[in-house]
Amino acid sequence: MPSDPLVRAGNLPCARPAVGWDLFASELAVLFRRRRTWAMLLALAAVPVLIAVAVRLSSSPPEPGRGPPFLDRVTQNGLFVGITALVVCIPLFLPLTVGVVAGDTIAGEANLGTLRYLLVVPAGRVRLLLVKFAGAAAFCLAATLTVVVSGALIGAALFPVGPVTLLSGDTISVGESILRSLLVAGYVTVSLLGLSAIGLFISTLTVVPVGAMAATIVLSVVAQVLGALPQLEWLHPWLFSHYWLDFADLLRQPIAWTSFGDNALLQAGYAAVFGALAYGRFVTKDILS
Amino acid sequence: MTRVWLRWVPAAAASAVIAAGALAVPLEAGAAVNLPDKTPQEVLAMIGDSTVDTLSGTLEQTSRLGLPDLSMGGSAAGDDAASALELLTGTHTARVYLDGPGQARVQVMGRLAERDLIVNGTDVWLYDSKDNEATHLTLPADAGSRPAPAPGSPQTPAQLADKLLAELDPSTEVSVDADTEVAGRTAYDLVLTPRGNGTLVGAVSIAVDSETGLPLRVKVQARGETEPAFELAFTALSLAKPDAALFDFQPPAGADVREQALPEGTPQEGTPQKDTEHGDFPGTVSGTGWESVVGLPAGSVPAELTASPLYAQATEAVDGGRLLSTSLVNVLITDDGRVFAGSVPVSRLQAAAAGG
Repeated sequence: MPSDPLVRAGNLPCARPAVGWDLFASELAVLFRRRRTWAMLLALAAVPVLIAVAVRLSSSPPEPGRGPPFLDRVTQNGLFVGITALVVCIPLFLPLTVGVVAGDTIAGEANLGTLRYLLVVPAGRVRLLLVKFAGAAAFCLAATLTVVVSGALIGAALFPVGPVTLLSGDTISVGESILRSLLVAGYVTVSLLGLSAIGLFISTLTVVPVGAMAATIVLSVVAQVLGALPQLEWLHPWLFSHYWLDFADLLRQPIAWTSFGDNALLQAGYAAVFGALAYGRFVTKDILS
Repeated sequence: MTRVWLRWVPAAAASAVIAAGALAVPLEAGAAVNLPDKTPQEVLAMIGDSTVDTLSGTLEQTSRLGLPDLSMGGSAAGDDAASALELLTGTHTARVYLDGPGQARVQVMGRLAERDLIVNGTDVWLYDSKDNEATHLTLPADAGSRPAPAPGSPQTPAQLADKLLAELDPSTEVSVDADTEVAGRTAYDLVLTPRGNGTLVGAVSIAVDSETGLPLRVKVQARGETEPAFELAFTALSLAKPDAALFDFQPPAGADVREQALPEGTPQEGTPQKDTEHGDFPGTVSGTGWESVVGLPAGSVPAELTASPLYAQATEAVDGGRLLSTSLVNVLITDDGRVFAGSVPVSRLQAAAAGG
């Protein structure tokens, strides 16, 4: 059992100088050996597959302007499946999985009774928070890449692959479209970092991981509801979900980098504030389990 | 006890830095700019003298006309009236590329969508990513050339500025406001203020680049409002020559391509341009300057428009008809189908309707 307290704690004291990297490696190993993580990644991978199969089996090609954006392009170019799936996943599925992972970070260890073993290293609490955040970020990247890669693979299998039409109407080669898809995956990963930081903070408040997960997911939904209300326009640029769908700016010719920068700045702000809040809460917390 | 409080210092510091940053950025944008003083004539002449013909920039348009926001309950999909109204509400961003008189590209960026206009010599392309639809127009070969100025008309920008000012003077006060900064460039702010108070327009201000004379921002202020009712401004601007490949548009494979002929009656070489103000214009104009009211005869509004639920939603019932009210323009559609519009209070429109 990788989450066995003695195995995890046993890794720690032996290599003190590099203990951060050791801890990170062990965190990744625990995260990606979990059956739950794999189940979530599989569910995410199923979204593009569902879309592609549904479009392939339907008798009439999708009409432009109906259904999710880019859906009508799928039949012409399989590489669009990943992008369409991302649009579908961003509002709910991706925040859901990220909420589960980020909400579990501290509360999960506390719940299993492994937290105190992780804290045997002196000054370990800050490092543990950083490692937990890095682990959640790694999951964000893995989740986004899963959607994009599985979309590209199923699209290539079921539909023709060729030059890709951008939003501006210009076409780019297959090679460049792969590059753009990876850029989009990077953008979406960055977009989810603010939510991960919020999840990390909520996770330090409780020892019930399900509560932290649910609260994080609810917050992501609340942010999007607030973002849809025109009466709260002044608030919109401050919501962590504000730039989520603006990854499409990477699909213009030339690329509009402004939203990438704005998004990165916003997410960094959320990570700083909620990371610091998590620090304030976690270093003073009595660890009872 | 103090140790406990110390733990929260990073969180407070992070929040404080962000709050300070959020406050400082608008302050920095409004920082005092000091340029050598110029008279309104000189600023107008600068606009006329402007030789900028290559640029790439980002334009942002904001309308606060008080129209209902239709982006939410936009049930009437594909409704032309709704899509025209959509441009009059909220904020829109567009990228503009210009290379000489013959090459231009405008990209109106929407969420997950884009509308493009590409002009390359005599080829004009319109592309809409939502419908994946491209429209092609061919302009007559000499469309780009400008007609020679008529003899007797002012020749230099300075003369033109003088003439314009003389014409504006009875109705409008023209002044130069405090220098400002738009898209990182210093600019003179030319302000046109209506002299009478019978109009809804409070002031129109045009920010003019201090180096090149290029207008960088237009703001229209409604009377009694604190924020501009309409604003069109560059948020980023570079005067470098844009990449030539941008203007070389090929419709993407799979797109709906429509060839559209130029509509009949488009001014061609030799045919004098119709004078829309006096020639074929069926309506009437009453009042002068800012307080003009334009009247259109019955039947000018298509029945399908007045029947649409959008119409009922956007207009309100007033004495004698229905009123479409914005902070800058009022439009009165009388019960017998006539239309009166002007940048004036509704009582003036009702008087015009009664008088006509």
